[in-house]
Amino acid sequence: MEADRGVGVGVAVEVAVATKVYAGGTDALQATSLTLEAGRTTALVGPSGCGKSTLLRMIAGLEAPTAGRVTLDGEAPEVLQRRGELAVAFQDPSLLPWRSVAQNIELALDLARLPRNDDRVAELIALVGLDGFATATPAELSGGMRQRAAIARALVTAPRLLLLDEPFGAVDELTRHELARELPALWEGGGTTTLLVTHSVAEAVRLADRVIVLSPRPGRVIADIPITLTRPRGAESAEAAALERTVRDALEAGRAGTAAGQNAG
Amino acid sequence: MSAGATARIRRPITAARRDAAIGTVGVVIALVVWELAARALEGGFALAAPTAVVASIVDNAGLLGRALAATGTTALLGFVIGNGAAVALGALAAAWPRSERTITGLALIVVCLPLVATAPLLRVLLGQGDGPSIALAALSVYYTTLIPLLVGLRAVPSTWLDLVQVAGRGPLTALVTVRARASLPYLAAGLQIAAPAAFLGAMVGEFTGAERGLGVLTIRAARDLDVDLTWALATIAAVISMAAYGLIGIIARRLAGGEPPTILAAPRLGSGRGRLRATLVGAGSAVIAAIVLWWGGIVAFDITPFVARTPIDVIGIVTGTRDGGETRDALLGALAETAVFVVPGYLAGLLAGLALAILVVLVPGTTGAVMPIAIALRSVPIVTTVPLIVLLLGRGPVGAIAITAVMVFFPTLVACLHGLRRAPGQVLDVMKVYATPAWRVLLQARIPAMLPAFFAAARMGVPAAVLAVTAAEWLATGTGIGALMALSASLSDYDVLAGAVVIVTVISAVGYALVGAIETRVLARYAPEQSG
Repeated sequence: MEADRGVGVGVAVEVAVATKVYAGGTDALQATSLTLEAGRTTALVGPSGCGKSTLLRMIAGLEAPTAGRVTLDGEAPEVLQRRGELAVAFQDPSLLPWRSVAQNIELALDLARLPRNDDRVAELIALVGLDGFATATPAELSGGMRQRAAIARALVTAPRLLLLDEPFGAVDELTRHELARELPALWEGGGTTTLLVTHSVAEAVRLADRVIVLSPRPGRVIADIPITLTRPRGAESAEAAALERTVRDALEAGRAGTAAGQNAG
Repeated sequence: MSAGATARIRRPITAARRDAAIGTVGVVIALVVWELAARALEGGFALAAPTAVVASIVDNAGLLGRALAATGTTALLGFVIGNGAAVALGALAAAWPRSERTITGLALIVVCLPLVATAPLLRVLLGQGDGPSIALAALSVYYTTLIPLLVGLRAVPSTWLDLVQVAGRGPLTALVTVRARASLPYLAAGLQIAAPAAFLGAMVGEFTGAERGLGVLTIRAARDLDVDLTWALATIAAVISMAAYGLIGIIARRLAGGEPPTILAAPRLGSGRGRLRATLVGAGSAVIAAIVLWWGGIVAFDITPFVARTPIDVIGIVTGTRDGGETRDALLGALAETAVFVVPGYLAGLLAGLALAILVVLVPGTTGAVMPIAIALRSVPIVTTVPLIVLLLGRGPVGAIAITAVMVFFPTLVACLHGLRRAPGQVLDVMKVYATPAWRVLLQARIPAMLPAFFAAARMGVPAAVLAVTAAEWLATGTGIGALMALSASLSDYDVLAGAVVIVTVISAVGYALVGAIETRVLARYAPEQSG
């Protein structure tokens, strides 16, 4: 699916020694540095509260780092915001209840100052399995269906940087598999840089080119695991299972390291 | 990262501190502007400067202290009685859900009763002394506490109720073990609003012939054109109301473990066609209950026929069979005069509240500062502002419209600010990611999300506007239904008084229901999760 404005190159993301301390003194993220290569999909995993979503929000320009900096192609996130080249989907679908499914998806085109594109909206509605629900309001949809509409809204602008914060959390298992099979083609075809925050190790390995593991709070990068599986990654494989084990081992090591640190302290 | 490095990281200033600083600066600026304006208008018998207000309070400390003690005592007694009744009826509604619509319908009738007429009636029925003031204070707090309490009694996760049911226990156990605790923050929110309402009721009661109290002093100061004392009394009433509001908030936070919620709407029951049928049944049963209480009260207290008017008498007055339509025509003429004030005042109050809320949201950082001030000013009793607005704007239409608008303005502002902040945070995040300008966020997310709160305020504004306009007509313009009620009370014309009470109550309730019908349609589109 082609982007309307011809954007086909993903954004290179650089997070340099970024720290986030919330009001009240909660250390969410500690001196974290990482780069996301243009056009690649990176999954971010880690225990609850380790700062995954904070990191994603800083990259989206929704939170400013307390120290350090975040740049997208060498510029501040706000520059890409203004160009309509970013898109985000949260675990909460965040649909406007007074708009239909199609109108909610069109909203992203409108906000990104892109021309109306009914065909693309219809295509995405079909892709996320909402055929027949274009005129339905969010109140008439199940939680999983709302989530799929939110994912379609994030994709409709063919963004250069796509940020997904546990977007499949409320989606049923079958749809989750289906979306995991169909969606990568969408963002990879457009050269989109994608950051996926997830709790699911299997999902991370299946969707990403690289899995970054964060330690328990305050989060810092403790492992950076390249995913060398060939695409498409439909079937389970021994190689995938081995990679999942590697990611789980890194998570365990992070937890053990934190516990050891606390005991030593 | 070392401890030293961590320590070097700048800790963000909390929003609460920033808002408090902005709020303090705002209050100081307001005081300075007030002082300068008063000095500029010196000799105009309109505005007393803050320094003159303080001087008046110091000069009259003994007098004001005794009056405050008298009004405070009656307000406190009314507060306890009215809230006790609200809690008892709220508990009854929770334990026996079928009674809820009747109870809320009765509460609506009570809140729609015109204080201007009920105050002198209570004076006649209860005689001299503090009785009328206490009764009016109790009536004034009943609705403000009952409605949030009912919301709170229903604000229980259904799984908690399932647990009680699975254990084989009934609604009474659910009420005692689950609902009562869950309703505490909501009860606290109701009690916060009830504190100034009790003060208002007590002062209105004092206007009708009490011997002491702030209400008596207010009437005397306004009559004597003692501008400094009038402003001093209004300041004392405002400060006491705000202090009571704040104190209950602090106690509530201790007891309930959180900030009292902002209650914007009465609880909604049922859904769709079933709700319409149940609403009609509830309204009918509330009217029957009101008639039973009214007629039963006349019989039980053996009220003299010179004063008492039964529902049959009022039907005779309204249809004209009792006196050839003379009273009815007088009432309708007075209502026409009132409409000229109440409709523009009501609409002006709504629009001004909406406009200021939008303005505040468009200027980042001011919402948190304006919200507490608006909530505080909402708690100022209307009757204390009537003499002030009369001093400032005179006794003509502008003053009456302004009094009505002020009464509607603050609750609308608070509701709209609350509603504008109701837009789900992540919707706003999605918009921010597209660098959406503030005005578009306002148009596409915040204002639609605010509409339910706006219409809830508009609905509650109907009886408030009627109260304000009748108080203004009584105390300022001398025209309209408010003045007619006051005049007929002083002339012991109980036909006019009874007819006015019923007609004003019905108009208020119908206006409330009409705005409620619009609100239902708005909720169905903009907040389907609230529309049942």
